[in-house]
Amino acid sequence: MIALARFRLVGYIASHRALQPFIGLLPLLAIMYATPVPAGQELGAMADSAGMLIPVFAWGARGLLDREPDEQRMISLVATGRGELFSGLLAAYAYAGVLASISLIALVTRLSADPTAGMLAIGVLLHVFSITAGVALGALTSRPILPSPAVSTIALIVGYLVTLMVSTSTSVGQWLAVPVMAWMRDAHHGLLTDRLPLLSVQSLLWPVVGIAAYAWLRRTRP
Amino acid sequence: MRVANLSFRYGRRAPWVLSGAELSLAEGDVVEVVGPNGTGKSTLLRLLAGLLRPVRGAIEDRPPVVGYAPERFPADQPFTVSSYLRHMAAVRRADPAVVGEWSERLGMAHLLDQRLPDLSKGSAHKVGLAQALLCRPGLLILDEPFAGLDTATRAELPRVVGEVSARGGIVVVSDHQGDLRAFPGLRRCEVRDGAVRALDSTDSTRVETLVGSPGASSGGASPAGAGRAVSSTVRAAVLRVEVPAAEATGLADRLRAEGYRVDMDSGGPANQDTPLPEAAE
Repeated sequence: MIALARFRLVGYIASHRALQPFIGLLPLLAIMYATPVPAGQELGAMADSAGMLIPVFAWGARGLLDREPDEQRMISLVATGRGELFSGLLAAYAYAGVLASISLIALVTRLSADPTAGMLAIGVLLHVFSITAGVALGALTSRPILPSPAVSTIALIVGYLVTLMVSTSTSVGQWLAVPVMAWMRDAHHGLLTDRLPLLSVQSLLWPVVGIAAYAWLRRTRP
Repeated sequence: MRVANLSFRYGRRAPWVLSGAELSLAEGDVVEVVGPNGTGKSTLLRLLAGLLRPVRGAIEDRPPVVGYAPERFPADQPFTVSSYLRHMAAVRRADPAVVGEWSERLGMAHLLDQRLPDLSKGSAHKVGLAQALLCRPGLLILDEPFAGLDTATRAELPRVVGEVSARGGIVVVSDHQGDLRAFPGLRRCEVRDGAVRALDSTDSTRVETLVGSPGASSGGASPAGAGRAVSSTVRAAVLRVEVPAAEATGLADRLRAEGYRVDMDSGGPANQDTPLPEAAE
Protein backbone atom coordinates (compact mmCIF):
# COMPACT_ATOMS: atom_id res chain seq x y z
CA MET A 1 0.00 0.00 0.00
CA ILE A 2 2.86 2.39 0.81
CA ALA A 3 4.55 1.62 -2.53
CA LEU A 4 1.32 2.31 -4.39
CA ALA A 5 0.74 5.53 -2.45
CA ARG A 6 4.29 6.60 -3.38
CA PHE A 7 3.64 5.71 -7.03
CA ARG A 8 0.48 7.81 -7.08
CA LEU A 9 2.10 10.74 -5.32
CA VAL A 10 5.11 10.70 -7.66
CA GLY A 11 2.79 10.46 -10.67
CA TYR A 12 0.68 13.35 -9.41
CA ILE A 13 3.68 15.60 -8.91
CA ALA A 14 5.45 14.54 -12.13
CA SER A 15 2.27 15.20 -14.14
CA HIS A 16 2.35 18.80 -12.84
CA ARG A 17 -1.32 18.51 -11.90
CA ALA A 18 -0.20 18.92 -8.32
CA LEU A 19 0.55 22.54 -9.18
CA GLN A 20 -3.12 23.40 -9.67
CA PRO A 21 -4.21 23.34 -6.00
CA PHE A 22 -0.84 24.79 -5.03
CA ILE A 23 -1.39 27.74 -7.36
CA GLY A 24 -4.90 28.04 -5.91
CA LEU A 25 -3.40 28.14 -2.44
CA LEU A 26 -1.04 31.04 -3.15
CA PRO A 27 -3.65 33.81 -3.66
CA LEU A 28 -5.52 32.56 -0.60
CA LEU A 29 -2.38 32.94 1.49
CA ALA A 30 -1.69 36.34 -0.06
CA ILE A 31 -5.17 37.54 0.89
CA MET A 32 -5.25 36.02 4.38
CA TYR A 33 -1.82 37.28 5.37
CA ALA A 34 -1.60 40.54 3.44
CA THR A 35 -1.41 42.24 6.83
CA PRO A 36 0.17 40.80 9.97
CA VAL A 37 -2.09 38.90 12.37
CA PRO A 38 -2.59 41.08 15.50
CA ALA A 39 -1.48 39.75 18.86
CA GLY A 40 -4.26 37.77 20.55
CA GLN A 41 -5.75 36.64 17.22
CA GLU A 42 -3.47 33.63 16.73
CA LEU A 43 -6.09 30.93 17.29
CA GLY A 44 -8.64 32.83 15.23
CA ALA A 45 -6.20 33.03 12.32
CA MET A 46 -5.48 29.32 12.56
CA ALA A 47 -9.19 28.46 12.58
CA ASP A 48 -9.80 30.77 9.60
CA SER A 49 -6.94 29.10 7.73
CA ALA A 50 -8.25 25.59 8.49
CA GLY A 51 -11.76 26.50 7.40
CA MET A 52 -10.77 28.24 4.18
CA LEU A 53 -8.36 25.57 3.03
CA ILE A 54 -10.89 22.70 2.92
CA PRO A 55 -11.70 23.26 -0.80
CA VAL A 56 -7.97 23.43 -1.62
CA PHE A 57 -7.38 20.10 0.10
CA ALA A 58 -10.45 18.65 -1.64
CA TRP A 59 -9.17 19.91 -4.99
CA GLY A 60 -5.79 18.31 -4.35
CA ALA A 61 -7.32 14.99 -3.29
CA ARG A 62 -9.65 14.88 -6.28
CA GLY A 63 -6.83 15.77 -8.66
CA LEU A 64 -4.58 13.08 -7.22
CA LEU A 65 -7.25 10.39 -7.38
CA ASP A 66 -8.23 11.40 -10.92
CA ARG A 67 -4.68 11.69 -12.26
CA GLU A 68 -4.38 8.01 -13.13
CA PRO A 69 -6.05 6.66 -16.27
CA ASP A 70 -8.87 4.24 -15.47
CA GLU A 71 -6.90 1.26 -16.78
CA GLN A 72 -4.00 2.05 -14.44
CA ARG A 73 -6.39 2.19 -11.51
CA MET A 74 -7.58 -1.28 -12.55
CA ILE A 75 -4.00 -2.56 -12.72
CA SER A 76 -3.41 -1.18 -9.23
CA LEU A 77 -6.66 -2.69 -8.02
CA VAL A 78 -5.70 -6.13 -9.30
CA ALA A 79 -2.26 -5.75 -7.69
CA THR A 80 -3.37 -4.65 -4.23
CA GLY A 81 -7.11 -5.23 -3.91
CA ARG A 82 -8.66 -2.82 -1.41
CA GLY A 83 -5.16 -1.46 -0.82
CA GLU A 84 -5.70 0.59 -3.99
CA LEU A 85 -8.43 2.57 -2.26
CA PHE A 86 -6.47 3.20 0.93
CA SER A 87 -3.27 4.03 -0.95
CA GLY A 88 -5.15 6.75 -2.83
CA LEU A 89 -6.47 8.25 0.39
CA LEU A 90 -3.05 8.01 2.00
CA ALA A 91 -1.39 9.79 -0.93
CA ALA A 92 -4.11 12.46 -0.86
CA TYR A 93 -3.51 12.95 2.87
CA ALA A 94 0.22 13.27 2.30
CA TYR A 95 -0.17 15.91 -0.40
CA ALA A 96 -2.73 17.85 1.62
CA GLY A 97 -0.30 17.66 4.54
CA VAL A 98 2.33 19.39 2.43
CA LEU A 99 -0.12 22.16 1.48
CA ALA A 100 -1.19 22.56 5.12
CA SER A 101 2.43 22.78 6.24
CA ILE A 102 3.11 25.56 3.75
CA SER A 103 0.01 27.40 4.98
CA LEU A 104 0.94 27.04 8.64
CA ILE A 105 4.48 28.26 7.99
CA ALA A 106 3.08 31.29 6.15
CA LEU A 107 0.68 31.92 9.02
CA VAL A 108 3.30 31.69 11.75
CA THR A 109 5.62 34.07 9.92
CA ARG A 110 2.82 36.67 9.83
CA LEU A 111 1.91 36.49 13.54
CA SER A 112 2.70 39.66 15.47
CA ALA A 113 3.26 37.73 18.71
CA ASP A 114 4.92 34.38 19.20
CA PRO A 115 2.30 31.62 19.58
CA THR A 116 2.43 29.22 22.49
CA ALA A 117 2.99 25.51 21.94
CA GLY A 118 -0.65 24.91 22.88
CA MET A 119 -1.85 27.31 20.22
CA LEU A 120 0.32 25.64 17.62
CA ALA A 121 -0.98 22.21 18.63
CA ILE A 122 -4.59 23.40 18.29
CA GLY A 123 -3.76 24.98 14.94
CA VAL A 124 -2.26 21.73 13.67
CA LEU A 125 -5.27 19.78 14.99
CA LEU A 126 -7.70 22.09 13.18
CA HIS A 127 -5.74 21.61 9.96
CA VAL A 128 -5.89 17.82 10.45
CA PHE A 129 -9.69 18.14 10.68
CA SER A 130 -9.62 20.35 7.59
CA ILE A 131 -7.48 17.86 5.66
CA THR A 132 -9.79 14.99 6.65
CA ALA A 133 -12.84 16.91 5.48
CA GLY A 134 -11.10 17.95 2.26
CA VAL A 135 -9.88 14.44 1.42
CA ALA A 136 -13.36 13.02 2.05
CA LEU A 137 -14.95 15.68 -0.17
CA GLY A 138 -12.29 15.17 -2.87
CA ALA A 139 -12.70 11.40 -2.80
CA LEU A 140 -16.48 11.60 -3.08
CA THR A 141 -16.16 13.86 -6.13
CA SER A 142 -13.42 11.81 -7.83
CA ARG A 143 -13.95 10.16 -11.21
CA PRO A 144 -14.97 6.66 -10.09
CA ILE A 145 -17.85 8.22 -8.13
CA LEU A 146 -18.72 11.17 -10.38
CA PRO A 147 -17.42 10.49 -13.92
CA SER A 148 -18.46 13.89 -15.30
CA PRO A 149 -15.79 16.57 -14.64
CA ALA A 150 -18.42 19.32 -14.66
CA VAL A 151 -20.70 17.57 -12.16
CA SER A 152 -17.69 16.69 -10.03
CA THR A 153 -16.45 20.30 -9.87
CA ILE A 154 -19.90 21.64 -9.05
CA ALA A 155 -20.40 18.96 -6.38
CA LEU A 156 -17.09 19.89 -4.77
CA ILE A 157 -17.92 23.60 -4.61
CA VAL A 158 -21.52 23.07 -3.53
CA GLY A 159 -20.43 20.53 -0.93
CA TYR A 160 -18.13 23.09 0.67
CA LEU A 161 -20.71 25.89 0.53
CA VAL A 162 -23.39 23.68 2.06
CA THR A 163 -20.96 22.74 4.83
CA LEU A 164 -20.38 26.43 5.56
CA MET A 165 -24.07 27.28 5.54
CA VAL A 166 -25.21 24.34 7.65
CA SER A 167 -22.47 24.87 10.20
CA THR A 168 -23.46 28.51 10.59
CA SER A 169 -26.32 27.59 12.91
CA THR A 170 -25.24 27.26 16.49
CA SER A 171 -26.31 23.91 17.94
CA VAL A 172 -27.98 21.45 15.58
CA GLY A 173 -25.98 22.51 12.53
CA GLN A 174 -22.74 21.54 14.18
CA TRP A 175 -23.90 17.91 14.08
CA LEU A 176 -25.17 18.06 10.51
CA ALA A 177 -21.92 19.11 8.87
CA VAL A 178 -18.25 19.68 9.65
CA PRO A 179 -18.54 22.63 12.11
CA VAL A 180 -16.26 24.94 10.14
CA MET A 181 -18.05 28.12 11.22
CA ALA A 182 -17.96 26.95 14.84
CA TRP A 183 -14.16 26.59 14.64
CA MET A 184 -13.86 30.19 13.55
CA ARG A 185 -16.51 31.59 15.88
CA ASP A 186 -15.19 29.83 18.98
CA ALA A 187 -11.56 30.62 18.15
CA HIS A 188 -12.24 34.33 17.76
CA HIS A 189 -14.34 34.41 20.96
CA GLY A 190 -11.78 32.53 23.03
CA LEU A 191 -14.02 29.47 23.49
CA LEU A 192 -12.19 27.01 21.26
CA THR A 193 -9.99 25.39 23.90
CA ASP A 194 -12.94 24.56 26.15
CA ARG A 195 -15.13 23.23 23.36
CA LEU A 196 -12.39 21.36 21.53
CA PRO A 197 -13.32 17.80 22.63
CA LEU A 198 -16.91 18.13 21.35
CA LEU A 199 -15.79 19.99 18.22
CA SER A 200 -13.27 17.21 17.50
CA VAL A 201 -16.03 14.59 17.49
CA GLN A 202 -18.25 16.79 15.33
CA SER A 203 -15.36 17.60 12.97
CA LEU A 204 -14.47 13.97 12.32
CA LEU A 205 -18.01 12.55 12.17
CA TRP A 206 -18.96 13.51 8.61
CA PRO A 207 -15.54 13.05 7.05
CA VAL A 208 -15.44 9.51 8.45
CA VAL A 209 -18.95 8.89 7.11
CA GLY A 210 -17.85 10.36 3.76
CA ILE A 211 -14.77 8.17 3.52
CA ALA A 212 -16.81 5.11 4.49
CA ALA A 213 -19.34 6.01 1.77
CA TYR A 214 -16.49 6.39 -0.73
CA ALA A 215 -15.12 2.96 0.21
CA TRP A 216 -18.58 1.42 -0.07
CA LEU A 217 -19.28 3.00 -3.46
CA ARG A 218 -15.90 1.92 -4.82
CA ARG A 219 -16.87 -1.74 -4.28
CA THR A 220 -18.85 -1.57 -7.50
CA ARG A 221 -16.99 1.29 -9.22
CA PRO A 222 -13.43 0.21 -10.01
CA MET B 1 -11.20 -21.64 -9.70
CA ARG B 2 -14.90 -21.80 -10.42
CA VAL B 3 -17.40 -19.40 -11.91
CA ALA B 4 -20.83 -20.32 -10.65
CA ASN B 5 -24.09 -18.95 -12.07
CA LEU B 6 -22.41 -15.64 -12.85
CA SER B 7 -24.61 -12.76 -13.91
CA PHE B 8 -23.50 -9.19 -14.45
CA ARG B 9 -24.84 -5.90 -15.72
CA TYR B 10 -23.39 -2.40 -15.41
CA GLY B 11 -26.49 -0.77 -13.91
CA ARG B 12 -29.91 -1.58 -12.54
CA ARG B 13 -31.58 -0.75 -15.84
CA ALA B 14 -28.74 -1.87 -18.08
CA PRO B 15 -29.04 -5.10 -20.06
CA TRP B 16 -27.42 -8.22 -18.69
CA VAL B 17 -23.95 -8.71 -20.15
CA LEU B 18 -23.57 -12.18 -18.62
CA SER B 19 -26.39 -14.30 -17.33
CA GLY B 20 -25.94 -17.56 -15.47
CA ALA B 21 -22.45 -18.16 -16.84
CA GLU B 22 -20.57 -21.22 -15.64
CA LEU B 23 -16.87 -21.93 -16.02
CA SER B 24 -14.44 -24.17 -14.23
CA LEU B 25 -10.71 -23.54 -14.41
CA ALA B 26 -8.13 -26.01 -13.19
CA GLU B 27 -4.48 -25.39 -12.36
CA GLY B 28 -2.45 -25.10 -15.53
CA ASP B 29 -5.43 -24.31 -17.74
CA VAL B 30 -4.93 -21.98 -20.67
CA VAL B 31 -8.28 -20.64 -21.81
CA GLU B 32 -8.98 -18.57 -24.87
CA VAL B 33 -12.12 -16.49 -24.64
CA VAL B 34 -13.64 -15.71 -28.01
CA GLY B 35 -16.78 -14.08 -29.26
CA PRO B 36 -17.97 -11.17 -31.39
CA ASN B 37 -17.20 -7.61 -30.37
CA GLY B 38 -19.32 -6.26 -27.53
CA THR B 39 -20.54 -9.61 -26.23
CA GLY B 40 -18.80 -9.32 -22.87
CA LYS B 41 -15.36 -10.88 -23.24
CA SER B 42 -13.56 -8.02 -21.49
CA THR B 43 -16.30 -7.90 -18.86
CA LEU B 44 -15.78 -11.60 -18.19
CA LEU B 45 -12.03 -11.04 -17.92
CA ARG B 46 -12.52 -8.16 -15.47
CA LEU B 47 -14.87 -10.29 -13.40
CA LEU B 48 -12.31 -13.10 -13.34
CA ALA B 49 -9.60 -10.63 -12.33
CA GLY B 50 -11.75 -9.37 -9.46
CA LEU B 51 -12.16 -5.87 -10.88
CA LEU B 52 -15.93 -6.20 -11.10
CA ARG B 53 -18.24 -7.82 -8.58
CA PRO B 54 -20.81 -10.29 -9.86
CA VAL B 55 -24.37 -9.03 -9.54
CA ARG B 56 -25.43 -12.65 -9.05
CA GLY B 57 -23.46 -15.81 -8.64
CA ALA B 58 -19.89 -16.09 -7.47
CA ILE B 59 -16.31 -16.60 -8.51
CA GLU B 60 -14.67 -19.01 -6.10
CA ASP B 61 -11.09 -20.01 -5.35
CA ARG B 62 -9.42 -17.23 -7.30
CA PRO B 63 -5.62 -17.56 -6.96
CA PRO B 64 -4.24 -14.90 -4.62
CA VAL B 65 -1.78 -13.38 -7.10
CA VAL B 66 -3.40 -12.07 -10.25
CA GLY B 67 -1.67 -10.47 -13.22
CA TYR B 68 -3.84 -8.35 -15.48
CA ALA B 69 -2.86 -6.80 -18.79
CA PRO B 70 -5.66 -4.57 -20.13
CA GLU B 71 -6.52 -4.33 -23.79
CA ARG B 72 -5.15 -0.79 -23.95
CA PHE B 73 -2.18 -0.04 -21.74
CA PRO B 74 -2.57 3.42 -20.12
CA ALA B 75 0.51 5.07 -21.59
CA ASP B 76 -0.55 8.59 -20.63
CA GLN B 77 1.51 8.59 -17.45
CA PRO B 78 4.50 10.72 -16.45
CA PHE B 79 7.01 7.89 -16.07
CA THR B 80 9.74 6.29 -18.09
CA VAL B 81 9.30 2.59 -18.85
CA SER B 82 11.98 1.75 -16.30
CA SER B 83 10.57 3.87 -13.47
CA TYR B 84 7.02 2.68 -14.13
CA LEU B 85 8.01 -0.98 -14.01
CA ARG B 86 10.14 -0.43 -10.91
CA HIS B 87 7.18 1.19 -9.19
CA MET B 88 4.98 -1.73 -10.23
CA ALA B 89 7.59 -4.20 -8.99
CA ALA B 90 7.59 -2.41 -5.63
CA VAL B 91 3.78 -2.48 -5.53
CA ARG B 92 3.93 -6.20 -6.28
CA ARG B 93 6.79 -6.72 -3.82
CA ALA B 94 8.78 -8.30 -6.62
CA ASP B 95 12.54 -8.25 -6.98
CA PRO B 96 13.44 -5.14 -9.03
CA ALA B 97 15.80 -7.32 -11.06
CA VAL B 98 12.82 -8.94 -12.80
CA VAL B 99 12.17 -5.64 -14.54
CA GLY B 100 15.35 -6.04 -16.57
CA GLU B 101 14.73 -9.70 -17.20
CA TRP B 102 11.23 -9.22 -18.54
CA SER B 103 12.31 -6.20 -20.55
CA GLU B 104 14.95 -8.31 -22.26
CA ARG B 105 12.56 -11.14 -22.84
CA LEU B 106 9.79 -9.01 -24.31
CA GLY B 107 12.25 -7.15 -26.52
CA MET B 108 11.94 -3.73 -24.92
CA ALA B 109 15.23 -3.33 -23.08
CA HIS B 110 16.15 -0.49 -25.44
CA LEU B 111 12.98 1.34 -24.42
CA LEU B 112 13.60 1.45 -20.67
CA ASP B 113 14.61 5.12 -20.68
CA GLN B 114 11.75 6.21 -22.92
CA ARG B 115 8.77 8.06 -21.48
CA LEU B 116 5.53 6.10 -21.58
CA PRO B 117 3.61 8.70 -23.64
CA ASP B 118 6.32 8.52 -26.33
CA LEU B 119 5.92 4.78 -26.89
CA SER B 120 4.30 3.26 -29.94
CA LYS B 121 1.14 1.23 -29.41
CA GLY B 122 2.99 -2.07 -29.56
CA SER B 123 5.75 -0.95 -27.22
CA ALA B 124 3.22 0.35 -24.70
CA HIS B 125 1.44 -2.97 -24.94
CA LYS B 126 4.67 -4.74 -24.02
CA VAL B 127 4.92 -2.61 -20.87
CA GLY B 128 1.38 -3.70 -20.00
CA LEU B 129 2.35 -7.33 -20.43
CA ALA B 130 5.54 -6.90 -18.40
CA GLN B 131 3.77 -5.37 -15.40
CA ALA B 132 1.33 -8.30 -15.39
CA LEU B 133 4.19 -10.80 -15.37
CA LEU B 134 6.36 -9.19 -12.68
CA CYS B 135 4.53 -10.93 -9.88
CA ARG B 136 4.58 -14.62 -10.99
CA PRO B 137 0.80 -14.68 -11.21
CA GLY B 138 -1.32 -17.66 -10.24
CA LEU B 139 -3.99 -16.22 -12.52
CA LEU B 140 -2.89 -14.34 -15.61
CA ILE B 141 -5.55 -12.36 -17.45
CA LEU B 142 -4.52 -11.06 -20.87
CA ASP B 143 -6.97 -8.93 -22.83
CA GLU B 144 -5.96 -9.03 -26.51
CA PRO B 145 -2.28 -9.59 -25.69
CA PHE B 146 -1.07 -9.98 -29.26
CA ALA B 147 -2.44 -6.69 -30.58
CA GLY B 148 0.34 -4.57 -32.05
CA LEU B 149 3.20 -6.86 -31.01
CA ASP B 150 6.20 -7.49 -33.24
CA THR B 151 6.94 -10.96 -34.60
CA ALA B 152 9.55 -11.88 -32.01
CA THR B 153 7.28 -11.01 -29.08
CA ARG B 154 4.32 -12.76 -30.71
CA ALA B 155 6.49 -15.85 -30.80
CA GLU B 156 7.66 -15.36 -27.23
CA LEU B 157 4.28 -14.84 -25.63
CA PRO B 158 2.96 -18.42 -26.11
CA ARG B 159 6.16 -19.62 -24.45
CA VAL B 160 5.52 -17.30 -21.50
CA VAL B 161 1.92 -18.54 -21.29
CA GLY B 162 3.23 -22.10 -21.34
CA GLU B 163 5.56 -21.40 -18.45
CA VAL B 164 2.82 -19.86 -16.29
CA SER B 165 0.66 -22.89 -17.09
CA ALA B 166 3.50 -25.31 -16.39
CA ARG B 167 3.87 -24.08 -12.82
CA GLY B 168 0.16 -24.45 -12.20
CA GLY B 169 -1.04 -20.96 -13.08
CA ILE B 170 -4.29 -20.31 -14.90
CA VAL B 171 -4.10 -18.18 -18.03
CA VAL B 172 -7.20 -16.60 -19.53
CA VAL B 173 -6.74 -14.81 -22.83
CA SER B 174 -9.08 -12.84 -25.02
CA ASP B 175 -7.59 -13.10 -28.48
CA HIS B 176 -9.22 -12.05 -31.71
CA GLN B 177 -6.17 -12.82 -33.78
CA GLY B 178 -6.00 -16.48 -32.83
CA ASP B 179 -2.27 -16.46 -32.07
CA LEU B 180 -2.77 -19.00 -29.30
CA ARG B 181 -4.96 -21.26 -31.42
CA ALA B 182 -2.15 -23.79 -31.88
CA PHE B 183 -1.21 -23.80 -28.20
CA PRO B 184 -1.19 -27.40 -26.99
CA GLY B 185 -4.06 -28.19 -24.63
CA LEU B 186 -5.76 -24.83 -25.20
CA ARG B 187 -9.32 -24.63 -23.95
CA ARG B 188 -11.64 -22.35 -25.84
CA CYS B 189 -14.76 -20.63 -24.56
CA GLU B 190 -17.19 -18.46 -26.43
CA VAL B 191 -19.07 -15.59 -24.85
CA ARG B 192 -22.36 -15.13 -26.64
CA ASP B 193 -25.85 -14.07 -25.59
CA GLY B 194 -24.75 -13.69 -21.97
CA ALA B 195 -23.56 -17.28 -21.69
CA VAL B 196 -20.09 -18.82 -21.66
CA ARG B 197 -19.99 -21.91 -23.85
CA ALA B 198 -17.08 -24.32 -24.15
CA LEU B 199 -15.87 -24.85 -27.71
CA ASP B 200 -14.10 -27.93 -28.96
CA SER B 201 -10.39 -27.70 -28.32
CA THR B 202 -8.14 -27.33 -31.33
CA ASP B 203 -6.83 -30.78 -30.53
CA SER B 204 -7.02 -33.25 -27.71
CA THR B 205 -3.34 -33.37 -27.13
CA ARG B 206 -2.16 -33.90 -23.60
CA VAL B 207 1.05 -32.03 -23.18
CA GLU B 208 3.51 -32.09 -20.39
CA THR B 209 5.59 -28.97 -20.50
CA LEU B 210 8.95 -29.02 -18.84
CA VAL B 211 10.69 -25.72 -18.29
CA GLY B 212 14.42 -26.01 -18.41
CA SER B 213 15.60 -23.74 -15.62
CA PRO B 214 15.81 -25.29 -12.14
CA GLY B 215 13.78 -22.50 -10.55
CA ALA B 216 11.02 -22.94 -13.02
CA SER B 217 10.85 -26.68 -12.68
CA SER B 218 10.30 -26.25 -8.96
CA GLY B 219 7.14 -24.29 -9.51
CA GLY B 220 7.87 -21.03 -11.23
CA ALA B 221 8.61 -19.72 -14.67
CA SER B 222 11.90 -18.00 -15.07
CA PRO B 223 11.85 -14.89 -17.20
CA ALA B 224 14.92 -16.30 -18.88
CA GLY B 225 12.82 -19.34 -19.67
CA ALA B 226 15.05 -21.14 -22.14
CA GLY B 227 15.24 -24.85 -22.76
CA ARG B 228 11.58 -25.71 -23.10
CA ALA B 229 11.00 -29.27 -24.19
CA VAL B 230 7.64 -30.77 -24.98
CA SER B 231 6.75 -34.40 -24.86
CA SER B 232 3.33 -35.43 -25.94
CA THR B 233 1.18 -38.27 -27.01
CA VAL B 234 -0.15 -37.06 -30.31
CA ARG B 235 -1.89 -38.11 -33.39
CA ALA B 236 0.31 -36.02 -35.62
CA ALA B 237 0.81 -35.22 -39.28
CA VAL B 238 4.03 -34.17 -40.96
CA LEU B 239 4.08 -31.13 -43.19
CA ARG B 240 6.96 -30.16 -45.45
CA VAL B 241 7.14 -26.42 -45.90
CA GLU B 242 9.66 -24.62 -48.11
CA VAL B 243 10.57 -21.11 -47.04
CA PRO B 244 13.39 -18.69 -47.97
CA ALA B 245 16.52 -19.61 -46.04
CA ALA B 246 16.65 -16.22 -44.34
CA GLU B 247 13.22 -16.76 -42.79
CA ALA B 248 13.68 -20.39 -41.82
CA THR B 249 15.15 -19.95 -38.37
CA GLY B 250 12.59 -17.36 -37.31
CA LEU B 251 9.70 -19.45 -38.53
CA ALA B 252 11.10 -22.54 -36.84
CA ASP B 253 11.45 -20.64 -33.57
CA ARG B 254 7.91 -19.37 -33.80
CA LEU B 255 6.49 -22.82 -34.47
CA ARG B 256 8.49 -24.27 -31.61
CA ALA B 257 7.17 -21.51 -29.38
CA GLU B 258 3.69 -22.66 -30.22
CA GLY B 259 4.55 -26.21 -29.19
CA TYR B 260 5.32 -27.86 -32.53
CA ARG B 261 8.37 -29.93 -33.27
CA VAL B 262 10.35 -28.64 -36.20
CA ASP B 263 13.08 -30.23 -38.28
CA MET B 264 15.14 -28.18 -40.69
CA ASP B 265 16.72 -29.76 -43.73
CA SER B 266 19.12 -26.93 -44.39
CA GLY B 267 21.05 -27.41 -41.16
CA GLY B 268 21.82 -24.71 -38.60
CA PRO B 269 21.52 -24.60 -34.84
CA ALA B 270 17.77 -25.05 -34.77
CA ASN B 271 17.75 -28.68 -35.92
CA GLN B 272 20.45 -30.03 -33.67
CA ASP B 273 18.29 -31.43 -30.94
CA THR B 274 14.80 -31.64 -32.27
CA PRO B 275 14.21 -34.89 -34.10
CA LEU B 276 10.79 -35.42 -35.56
CA PRO B 277 8.51 -37.50 -33.37
CA GLU B 278 7.14 -40.73 -34.62
CA ALA B 279 4.12 -39.57 -36.47
CA ALA B 280 1.33 -40.84 -38.58
CA GLU B 281 1.01 -39.05 -41.86
